[in-house]
Amino acid sequence: MSENKTHKKRDIFVEGAIAPAFVAESITKHATQTSIGGHEIFLGQVRADAIGATNAIVRAIEYTAYRDMANEQMIAIREEAFARWPITCLHVHHSLGTIAVGELCFFVFASAAHRQPAREAVAFVTDEVKKRLPIFGKEILLDNTHVWKENR
Amino acid sequence: MKVFLFGMIAEKAGAASLEATATSTAALKRQLETRIPDLDKLSYALAVDRVIVNDDRALNGTEEIALLPPFAGG
Repeated sequence: MSENKTHKKRDIFVEGAIAPAFVAESITKHATQTSIGGHEIFLGQVRADAIGATNAIVRAIEYTAYRDMANEQMIAIREEAFARWPITCLHVHHSLGTIAVGELCFFVFASAAHRQPAREAVAFVTDEVKKRLPIFGKEILLDNTHVWKENR
Repeated sequence: MKVFLFGMIAEKAGAASLEATATSTAALKRQLETRIPDLDKLSYALAVDRVIVNDDRALNGTEEIALLPPFAGG
């Protein structure tokens, strides 16, 4: 699972929700990288919005993706992030399949010697993933109708 | 050529992909808009070999095409 500038993971997608324990394990794996002075993390969680014609509450989002294009876009975003900030490593994971309200669906994790590059890289990567990766979300409502989610 | 469909476009078409023959992206779009209900009313992007193409481009039939509705990642 180790990942750095020379060892890039090519697939960001995981089936199902991202477990909090996986986040903890990811942090733990960096203990041996003693040049790191700060970690920055963004975690996306499925929110119980009231939407659609019936103003019903979201109970889950079913994520699908154009997986090959999304992973190619992610490689480009990674390269942009490493070119702009002195970060030690960057990890991105996104869920596929049905993720219930309250579960985690998106995990962005950057580490650096100092806090500012880690913060800025995570903000950049989070926004770019939302804009550029062909990921689609079907919001399934409590009344079993659905609405296709659209990033703004 | 194979055309991959996603999200609400796959739902409208009732399929995850379809076969089409066209010599340009504009011609392909016109054809697909007659084959997929409401496609002409939807906001979507067309990707050729996993890159979004906005202009009209010649196709030789070996490309991987995809119709992409609005993104919703994160």
